Amino acid sequence: MREAPETRQSLLLRLRDSQDHQAWTEFLAIYEPLIYRLATRNGFQDADARELTQEVLLAVSGAIDRWDPDPKLGSFRGWLFRIARNLMINFLAKRRNRPLAIGDTDFNRLLNEQPADASDESRYFDHEYKRQAFHWAAERIRREFQEHTWQAFWQSCVDGKTVKEVAEKLKMSVGAVYVSRSRVMARLRKEIERVGNE
Amino acid sequence: MVAQASNCNRDRLKQLLAGTLPRETESNITKHVEMCDTCRSEMETLAADASWWQDAHEFLSSTEVSCLIDDSPTTGNTIDLSVIAGEFDTTPDETTADELVLDYLASSDNPAMLGRLGGYEILEVIGRGGMGIVFKAYDGELNRYLAIKVLSPCYASSAAARKRFAREAQAAAAVVHQHVVAIHGVDGTGKLPYLVMPFVACESLQERIDREGPLDTRDILRIAVQAAQGLSAAHAQGLVHRDVKPANILLEKGVDRVLLTDFGLARAIDDAALTRSGVIAGTPQYMSPEQAKGESIDHRTDLFSLGSVMHAMCTGRSPFRAETTMGVLRRICDGEARSVREVNADLPPWLERVIAKLLAKSPDDRFETADEVASLLEACLAHVQHPTAVALPESLASCERSRAAQYAAGGTLVVSCLVVFALMFTTLPNDESGEGPGQAEVLSSGTVNSLDEQEQLRWTDDLDSEMSQIDYQIQILETIDF
Repeated sequence: MREAPETRQSLLLRLRDSQDHQAWTEFLAIYEPLIYRLATRNGFQDADARELTQEVLLAVSGAIDRWDPDPKLGSFRGWLFRIARNLMINFLAKRRNRPLAIGDTDFNRLLNEQPADASDESRYFDHEYKRQAFHWAAERIRREFQEHTWQAFWQSCVDGKTVKEVAEKLKMSVGAVYVSRSRVMARLRKEIERVGNE
Repeated sequence: MVAQASNCNRDRLKQLLAGTLPRETESNITKHVEMCDTCRSEMETLAADASWWQDAHEFLSSTEVSCLIDDSPTTGNTIDLSVIAGEFDTTPDETTADELVLDYLASSDNPAMLGRLGGYEILEVIGRGGMGIVFKAYDGELNRYLAIKVLSPCYASSAAARKRFAREAQAAAAVVHQHVVAIHGVDGTGKLPYLVMPFVACESLQERIDREGPLDTRDILRIAVQAAQGLSAAHAQGLVHRDVKPANILLEKGVDRVLLTDFGLARAIDDAALTRSGVIAGTPQYMSPEQAKGESIDHRTDLFSLGSVMHAMCTGRSPFRAETTMGVLRRICDGEARSVREVNADLPPWLERVIAKLLAKSPDDRFETADEVASLLEACLAHVQHPTAVALPESLASCERSRAAQYAAGGTLVVSCLVVFALMFTTLPNDESGEGPGQAEVLSSGTVNSLDEQEQLRWTDDLDSEMSQIDYQIQILETIDF
């Protein structure tokens, strides 16, 4: 999307270190719900979606070494999407006649595949990623602000109320609402860029 | 606006955002921002540009999981297998290709199977590539396992593409060779054409390179020899592979056998993809220059690609790489492949020369046939395996010697020239007189007798020019300061 692909890479590169707990925590916080939603969107029941999410994340952790961060080769998200999609297909293919049998999926073969081209489904995935990233970042930075600062941002930007309306409600000056929401926005952008927003 | 000029200050706005201003100044500027549209807008842009503000509104306001479903341009992109059946004819979509294939399977009586296709029980998906999906199947009648490659619906959407696929597959089926994956059957009549091959437990050369990186000289030669032999068998049938690449070279597990697959098919798919989307579907990295330029091709295109494959085995990467497809094609046509010995100095110089010759831009400068390559590399392999007992093939060895002896060779050359010179002098009179043993006699005694005077004269003329050339060379040699 915007600048700072280097921060994006650094988080992803940090994932190669399986001991980098923080990197993995952040990664999971954003991507785990994303994969789960992709699965449920494609008709997976809760338990299956959870299982599939686990499979995908396991596959990623096993293959992150082989992912080439060269942006020319495609985005990390595209690669991850491809893995998720392949595992879903395998899952469904097997489930068709054998309702509960899964496993013995050839991860390696799937993981060596190149990122998917921009398809509707991967656009959906990108869109969902952004949504997930915004929510995740908002959750994280919220406690850094005083409640009225946060509300100034949320009510005027997210809920779409006018600045005047918000100012009156929060008993702030109009100027203070502008400053407050800009501060939150700047922080939000920084946090999302830190984990990657390309 | 009523802005006091002194307050319209970008740095102040930054400090305001960062919260680093003294309390009083902060309150002043906040008041200013309230009045000054320019500064307000400037501050908001400093915080994040307009698209961020939009995104924040869009993404944070929605908590509904399926918010995008209504926005998606087609409804056919779900992977729900039960929903999608029947939609294929109207909206072929790449993302659903695999699932669509599955939907074309008839149901099987055996619950352990995915389904049935043309009399075969389908067990599982074993591979998926640019052209379609590969199933492991079971042939009950003959009690054997098979691999069935089904053309992706997105490429099978036109009758012409289906026919082309079937035609190419039938041609490939005619090649029977131990280093070519056999094709048991082809069905191009149904909605999804497919071909039936033996099930082989294998990995592709691509997988091997990805896993292990560059291979050693012995493996490079062993694989290249067998690939060249397979190509030679296909070329003998008039069939050009057109897509020789590591992914199409299979290494059978357990035994050291190499198998070529996908003869002529991938490019047939490309043509279908091209007409559909105007984009080359497969990787062009192993294409020959004549292919890249869209010129007419013959069997020698496969020799170039084999050279690229050998290069990849030596270095772990394809020789012509670029960011874009166009960039790759340009490199193939104009760029020189990097020396394999630069990457791996342990490789023998003659191997580098063989690869360079295969990678010659002009087909005329390459080896003439795959058979020639196979024989040469086979001899090289024998040499590598028994360096003391088996000599390097003469064509490569002589090259090697001449390079090594380049600087000391002057004197030898004079001597050999003189020897030739002397030999010609001594044999000439014999032939001219028609007596005694001459070079022409080996043909047959009749030939010698039938040499009329004119022909003898011409021969003498040729000799004269030859001798003057030798004279000239000797003169040059004499001027060289050893």
